[in-house]
Amino acid sequence: MKPLTLPLIILIFTLCHSCMEWEYGLEENFSTSGSGLFIMNEGNFQYGNATLSYYNPTTKSIDNEIFYRANGMKLGDVAQSMTIHDSLGWVVVNNSHVVFAIDLNTFKEVGRITNLTSPRYIHFISDEKAYITQIWDNRIFIVNPKRFEITGHIECPGMTMETGSTEQMVQYGKYVYVNCWSYQNRILKIDTETDRIVDELEVGVQPTSLAIDYNNKLWTVTDGGYSGSPYGHEVPSLYKIDAETFTIEAQFEFRKGDSPSEIQINRDKNRLYWINNDIWDMSVNAKLLPEKPLIEEQQTIYYGLTVDPYNGEIYVADAIDYQQQGKIYRYSPNGVLIDEFYVGIIPGAFCWK
Amino acid sequence: MKRMNIFRLLIAGAALMLYNATCFAQEYTIPEVTVIGRPMKEIGVQETRFDSTMLKEHIANSMADILTFNSSIFVKNHGRATLSTVSFRGTSPSHTQVTWNGMKVNNPMLGMTDFSTIPAYFIDDASLLHGTSSINESGGGLGGAVKLSTQPANAQGFGAQYIQGAGSFKTFDEFLRLTYGNARWQISTRAVYASSPNNYKYKNRDKKENIYDQEMNIIGQYHPIERNRSGAFKDMHILQELYYNTLRGDRIGFNAWFTGSNRELAMLTTDYGEEQDFDNRQREHTFRSVLSWDHIRSNWKVAAKAGYIYSWVAYDYKRGLGNGTMSHMTRSRSDINTFYGDLNGEYYLGRKWLFSANLTVHQHLVTSKDKNIILQEGNKAIVGYDKGRVELSTALSVKYRPTERIGLSAVVREEMFGTEWTPVIPALFIDAVLSEKGNIVVKGSISRNYRFPSLNDMYFLPGGNPDLKKESGWTYDAGVSFAVGNNRYKISGSATWFDSHINDWIIWLPTTKGFFSPRNIKMVHSYGVELQASSDFVVARKWLFALNGTFSWTPSINQGEPYSPADQSVGKQLPYVPEFSATFTGKVSWHKWALLYQWCHYSERYTMSSNDISLTGRLPKYYMSNISLEKNLNFKPLDLSLKGVVNNLFNEEYLSVLARPMPSINFEIFIGITPQW
Repeated sequence: MKPLTLPLIILIFTLCHSCMEWEYGLEENFSTSGSGLFIMNEGNFQYGNATLSYYNPTTKSIDNEIFYRANGMKLGDVAQSMTIHDSLGWVVVNNSHVVFAIDLNTFKEVGRITNLTSPRYIHFISDEKAYITQIWDNRIFIVNPKRFEITGHIECPGMTMETGSTEQMVQYGKYVYVNCWSYQNRILKIDTETDRIVDELEVGVQPTSLAIDYNNKLWTVTDGGYSGSPYGHEVPSLYKIDAETFTIEAQFEFRKGDSPSEIQINRDKNRLYWINNDIWDMSVNAKLLPEKPLIEEQQTIYYGLTVDPYNGEIYVADAIDYQQQGKIYRYSPNGVLIDEFYVGIIPGAFCWK
Repeated sequence: MKRMNIFRLLIAGAALMLYNATCFAQEYTIPEVTVIGRPMKEIGVQETRFDSTMLKEHIANSMADILTFNSSIFVKNHGRATLSTVSFRGTSPSHTQVTWNGMKVNNPMLGMTDFSTIPAYFIDDASLLHGTSSINESGGGLGGAVKLSTQPANAQGFGAQYIQGAGSFKTFDEFLRLTYGNARWQISTRAVYASSPNNYKYKNRDKKENIYDQEMNIIGQYHPIERNRSGAFKDMHILQELYYNTLRGDRIGFNAWFTGSNRELAMLTTDYGEEQDFDNRQREHTFRSVLSWDHIRSNWKVAAKAGYIYSWVAYDYKRGLGNGTMSHMTRSRSDINTFYGDLNGEYYLGRKWLFSANLTVHQHLVTSKDKNIILQEGNKAIVGYDKGRVELSTALSVKYRPTERIGLSAVVREEMFGTEWTPVIPALFIDAVLSEKGNIVVKGSISRNYRFPSLNDMYFLPGGNPDLKKESGWTYDAGVSFAVGNNRYKISGSATWFDSHINDWIIWLPTTKGFFSPRNIKMVHSYGVELQASSDFVVARKWLFALNGTFSWTPSINQGEPYSPADQSVGKQLPYVPEFSATFTGKVSWHKWALLYQWCHYSERYTMSSNDISLTGRLPKYYMSNISLEKNLNFKPLDLSLKGVVNNLFNEEYLSVLARPMPSINFEIFIGITPQW
């Protein structure tokens, strides 16, 4: 029957075709040694395509998607940060509500902390205690990294779940300091013995990042909010805070409309670096902001920054259009380009091994 | 026939088609095909039409499903009963204008339309106006337009229909229609209620579960079998229609459609949170209404419409605190009020000229409350915006058919959004009959077009950019179609080439302050070919075979300036736009049985603008098949219909969007009851 011919052909054609082509489960055995640089590629929010890259500065070789390749599964949605404690790397994956612990040489998972709200950074107090900051939660979680479990939390004052935002942590003695960023303007001081917030300090609108120098001075840089924000829009500033007295020692104002972020410090903790369209650096003892950048921007918006703790080289992340593999530029300490390489989507954070 | 009533001829033609369609259920015949006397309004127009017969075959589906399996449009589906947007000819979702009974229903905040919230049961007539052809309907359709409308039920006396569906994943669908009609009045009430926990199983290949020993060392890992978590939905729709025909050329219609939707937003495959610890939910109450009046005379017509839309959308993301209470992390609310008015006039000068004019106005009033914050002083405030915008669109057109074989059409449109006007938007159309025997028609068209930024593009906090320019483009279309047959068979087909350049394409990009902001960045060249073929065969008067297929090739290439020297996206296909797509539908009807097979294919979609394919960012091509079998039973007091549907027939694992698994093979049965009073 002629009319049946066409549907039959199409049906056979359909059946003969392969289904969606999956490539799953293959695991590679990595065996790295020596120092290296981990790069967290955030990926696109809600698309679960965050990745982890590893760069060897000696051989100038880059391995991308190392978490997937080593473990046969995805890293998750929005890789936020990574911290190394002893022989393990702790990768915070914000919108997957998880922190993975990985072996630093094989990149294999050795455990994970789950049941988090929206984790941002992890800071180790001891082998058996760490803090995890969060956004959209007014609690900092206390975890036992040995058991991969949450053991408690620190309630943060002056914020609700909706406005909760705690970010980076640095430690001075028994105190941990935390900057509060989204619709916030404070630095919190936590006593690690009692796991309680013992003090807070108001700075400018939205402190983005935090570092501590060799003089035990905390440094934070605010972004000043944005035009139209009911929380305020002001001139962004770099703040120098004495950790001992927890008071502001100096405030360096940028221009209104500037967007400083990503404060970093070198190994000797005597030189600061940050992004403000260009890459800037300054002595921690300087009295004025620098007039010229260290590295001028190249028609793009830099998204991440780190300084090699071994030799002071500077690595800058370019997310390009945020929908393709980002690029990392490696510069000498005086701003000469040494190497460049592509990584994953939206490279935002670094971690040195 | 100087005094010929052209409108009545058109109505008579439509009635004849409907009669023939009805005949299919009894003894199959196929209406004659002819291009002579084709409507003036269709001169040069590239249109894909879904008639009521076809839409009724898919009552349980949303318009997203209809478009997926029956058109060349790419539907980006975030999951079952979740956000489904379209890419028409490789453009973005906001480049497709959608109208319901003439009123624009694109969300004015987002610019796009979620087709998963439009039940096919409520649509009697749907058509796609490809590229330039959308200028006849509205501006802003850089990819095209989707026209959705309802029609009088043509009921005589009381009528009722109830359909109950029950399927996999505890899915229940209920459909009810009550009608009353006579020569002058047609009244219809339709209701749809669909609900499901929607917790289908799938193998989660994106994550692994760990097996630990007592020292918390991992001693084993496996990909878990998971359920779709937090994906439940309850959607209710009610549509009330009232039509009055004076039988002297005046018709009045009223349509009111209420949607109440409560949908969870499913967790990603890469989410390690516990389902009970989070509540991620979108609720929507939307009311749309249109009052219309048509005044039809022998060679002219005027029509007026007034409409109103109210939409309340709530998005809540909550976190369990471990003590049985849930606390808000996000509490977003938006209220949209839209007032609509439309005036339309048509005048036929003889049989060769048609003049028409149209004026449409939409007034949007939008309140968006996105975040509750505590201010520096300790008091509270809401982050959001409260804005209004008038959108005016006016068009004049002249259509001329010097001979039966040739048609010419010119449209000029102008639009005003807020206080900004577009330049004059011209569109030219031509068609010509090459062969009456084969009904071969060639068509060509060219148009300019503009799309204004959405209200979120301009005012969303943080990130809205009031300095955005409108997107603009030129589109060229050319095509050929044919149709042959008699009352035993019909074969038709069309091929269309299109070419479109869009400038100042708006995309949202992150800023250094940690939020996204839209910018006029890209220049996109979208071009390609759309093929469509269909055939109907009647065999031994009791068998009807109906086949339909589409194929499209739609390169959509970024031709903008590179963002930086490192940019690898220039010259590449836009992400999430397949280069190739195809659909096929085959239907066999015998006596009161009907077997329907549907198939669609999308080629691999890139997830990166650089078109790199990574291990974690792959969306491979897939083929999807559905099949259904229906049997109608006629008893004296009522007609019964029984239908069984198998979706994802070959149990394929597939994704339309990363980290959003689609359901495996699933089943649904429907029982329809139509009392015969």
